[in-house]
Amino acid sequence: MKKLLVCTGLILLTTFFIVSEDAHSQQGVTNDSILIGGFGPITGPAAWIGLGARDGINLAIKEINSAGGIQGRKLRLIFEDDAASPSRALAGVKKLVDQDKVFMLFCGAGSNSTVGVIDFVKERKIPMIVSIASAPGVTRPFNKYLFRGGTTEVARYGEIYSDFVTQGLQAEKIAIISGRDEYPKNEADSLTKYLKSWFNIDPVVRVEFNAGDKDFTPQLLEIKKANPEVVAILGHPPEAAIILRQARELGLEQHFFGGAATVDPAVPLNAKFAAEGFTGTFLLPIYLDSKDTDMVKFRQAYKKEYPSHPAGRPNWCDVMAYTDTYVIAEGMKRAGKNLTVDKFISAMETLRDYRVSRIATPRTFTSEHHIGNLRLQPLVVLNGRWVPLAWEPSRPSDVLKKP
Amino acid sequence: MLGLNIQLLVAGLSVGSIYALVALGLVMTYKASDVLNFAQGEILTAGAYIALLFSVTLKFPYYQSFFLTIILISGLGILLERVAFRPLIMAPPFTIIIATLAVGQMIKNLIRLIWQSDVHRLSPPFRMAIWKWQDIRVNTQAVWVIACALIITGILAVFFRSSWLGKAMRSVSQNQQGARLMGISVERVFSLTWAISAALGAAAGILIAPLIGVYPDMGLVLVKAFVASIIGGFTSLAGAVVGGLVVGLIETFSGAYISSTFKEFVAFILLIVLLMFRPYGLFGAKQARRV
Amino acid sequence: MVLREAFDSKIGLLAIVVILLTLPWLLGSFYLYTLSLILVNVIIATGLNLLTGNAGQVSLCSSTFMAIGAYSAMVLNLKFGLTYWLALPLAGLIAAALGFGLGVPALRLRGYYLALATLAFLEIIQIVIQEASTLTGGVRGLLAPRPTFAGFKLNDQSFYYFILVITFLMIYIARNLLNSPLGRAFNAIRNSEAAAQALGISLAQVKVIAFTISAFYAGLAGGLYAPLVGFVDPVEFGLWTSIFHLTMIIVGGLGSLMGSVVGAVVITGLPEWLRGLKEYRDLASGAILLCFLIFMPTGIAGMWGRFHRPLDHISKETEVNGTRS
Repeated sequence: MKKLLVCTGLILLTTFFIVSEDAHSQQGVTNDSILIGGFGPITGPAAWIGLGARDGINLAIKEINSAGGIQGRKLRLIFEDDAASPSRALAGVKKLVDQDKVFMLFCGAGSNSTVGVIDFVKERKIPMIVSIASAPGVTRPFNKYLFRGGTTEVARYGEIYSDFVTQGLQAEKIAIISGRDEYPKNEADSLTKYLKSWFNIDPVVRVEFNAGDKDFTPQLLEIKKANPEVVAILGHPPEAAIILRQARELGLEQHFFGGAATVDPAVPLNAKFAAEGFTGTFLLPIYLDSKDTDMVKFRQAYKKEYPSHPAGRPNWCDVMAYTDTYVIAEGMKRAGKNLTVDKFISAMETLRDYRVSRIATPRTFTSEHHIGNLRLQPLVVLNGRWVPLAWEPSRPSDVLKKP
Repeated sequence: MLGLNIQLLVAGLSVGSIYALVALGLVMTYKASDVLNFAQGEILTAGAYIALLFSVTLKFPYYQSFFLTIILISGLGILLERVAFRPLIMAPPFTIIIATLAVGQMIKNLIRLIWQSDVHRLSPPFRMAIWKWQDIRVNTQAVWVIACALIITGILAVFFRSSWLGKAMRSVSQNQQGARLMGISVERVFSLTWAISAALGAAAGILIAPLIGVYPDMGLVLVKAFVASIIGGFTSLAGAVVGGLVVGLIETFSGAYISSTFKEFVAFILLIVLLMFRPYGLFGAKQARRV
Repeated sequence: MVLREAFDSKIGLLAIVVILLTLPWLLGSFYLYTLSLILVNVIIATGLNLLTGNAGQVSLCSSTFMAIGAYSAMVLNLKFGLTYWLALPLAGLIAAALGFGLGVPALRLRGYYLALATLAFLEIIQIVIQEASTLTGGVRGLLAPRPTFAGFKLNDQSFYYFILVITFLMIYIARNLLNSPLGRAFNAIRNSEAAAQALGISLAQVKVIAFTISAFYAGLAGGLYAPLVGFVDPVEFGLWTSIFHLTMIIVGGLGSLMGSVVGAVVITGLPEWLRGLKEYRDLASGAILLCFLIFMPTGIAGMWGRFHRPLDHISKETEVNGTRS
């Protein structure tokens, strides 16, 4: 027992060192640098999110710094892994805020990790931009320290999906097949809600599947029996590809519409001909392989900075984080030489339809809401590639109207 | 109604054959060296990715890629046996489980670091077509997977029964000391067992990839393969295959007639029920406990 | 050697206790948080070591009992309005009840079969948590607020003290248990079930008790973990968390109480130490674990024991490499 306690104590002593609080005029800001703390999953199955976030931020920082920085200060990033675990995310954020003393946080993590750290962030009054997670808690209730980046509100997904399916695809009979995990479930619930509240339509059938399922015959047969006009697939690329293939095999001729996560090159790649005509919406206004000059410029800069990047990168998280870094940089610039948290927040709230280039959606923040983006770009698979569809929503969003 | 059930039957057999293929590899290592290889799923994944490397990056034709992948992954199996599992030969099951899990995770992490989490595509040996009969449709690739599973089992069964090597493996699994006294090199037999089991895993990966895509978490079918193996009793290869098909069928039918929630549960409930009442499975022999 | 005498002295003991008590005022929130997590993990490791290290029963579902404890405590507190101070022990008891429930059918299983049964249990509970979303928040998780005492919400420091007290209590109980006839029965079963039976030990009773106790520890730890982190999410309680727990007792030392503590400290701290490896961290952790399994099966405590005085119970060699079942 004694030996036990002794060992514990010794190990603790050697592991930890005593830290004393040091008063800073503004944490994270020195005469020549501004420190940003980023976090997200860089290990585990969701690593593509965090790695994209990290690399996107770093690319933007490099560009901004070589153009002279912000008010003469260089941006610096420390990125922590959260392994998609809320407890690790909290540890990372505590370290960034209390040990590394960052000026602000950049959240490149999933929704659960984001929700896990929000209370701490609010309590510490550190500004945080949430680039990728769509957790409602970021913007509701309104808190001036939290900003939503390129991703959009869960409600907006439902609004746009229901609008596109009923007005764009002109369907009244809609079937929904969705995954059980968090993001697809949110999409499915939101779609169902807005189909009803905006267009007074109930889905003819709603079935679910489990992530990792390899066969969707029972669900597809049920859908076939209900004879819908459009089938909405809300899930992740591996399952979406199999669903599309099996659907065509089983003789379903309907049009298929996919949630934002299914807009991925893997779907047309694996489902081949079955994916032709598959529609979906995307968080960036132009697709990753587009020939648009702004996207081409981005990809060239990316290749130059990361010459040995793996295939499949940059992904949309890279682009989102890159564009969101420019958003906060703009905020910092507008805040002026004497950069403080409050000045930064007020400066951000002056942004109206700001974007660094066409690869980003325009962002607006006001003193009443910090929802940056309300746009989704519809795309369709043509000849194995995702190409943009010219379509605008038929009605404006209600998202900003809510109290 | 009948049409619906036959379609479900086809779907169940097709997903079941995936489980069957993985279970074959599991049972092989267990039969011969008493190791339950929790990394078998990752060996499958590694097989699919190496095949990807050969066929997509290096653009080799299908059968050449297949062959080379099998060879390479068999080598991986031998390497794993030598480096990680031979030192643990006398360790309790607990250690083996953790060790195989750790190895599996390392393989998966390595794959993820190199190829990221995107879903890649591995072409099938022939173009996928749909056979139609009345209202029932069957994907030819699924039929191919089932056929391969049966053929491989047949070959293995013959191998174990008649060839010298097969007999040597059987004697090693029954009694190591005795086998050694007979002049059989137990170490060589272990290496060979792992090589074959890894090859089976790789073959499974290559065969199922056209149906489900190539991605780092492919190996999570392993849990279902455990259930399949238990049905077969862990000692019978044919039992493993039947077990896999049974699991596939039960899942598909309960998904259709009960609910998809239940479908998630059913494999695990089946596992617990079997473990409680028939741990030696429907086909396996009750093993005497040495005291 | 002089150092060792210092450790054994009462002054050394007092010094450690004083350090642990004053640390929260000296550490920043990050280190305090990590320290609190370490204590929670000490509780889990201690309980798991009783089951797996001492009684020799393989279990892959320690994270499940932790989940049951965490969710039970939060649901009782948030949905049924029960005060946290009652919800916590109740959560431990609920987990223990389920541990009992698992222990009974698991009686006939050993080795791989037992491992698979615990794995199945883990998966089933995962699905239950996801499906019972009105109660548990499902895949979206549940916010877990800090408890209040006399009207004040516990801050990081006071919650740390609470966790510290519970940790000491649980270690104390475990120590007494190991020195009792029950503890000796655990060791006997691990070494040889047949011999233990020959000595008149009821396998059934002892195995079930081991499961129940270990589940209680994990459940209690889960109930502490929830308000510490502030958020519970089913993904936190999957197979990999169980492996994490097992890693703690393997590295620390199977069957050794000191091993539980050392293992918890080292392995909880490991992600922090390996932060510099960034995305290669998981690969490194796997390699470290494998090395321990192959080269140091008796863990750190085993190594310590080898160089210093023999331990007061059965020697390390037989503990780990006992009988292969």
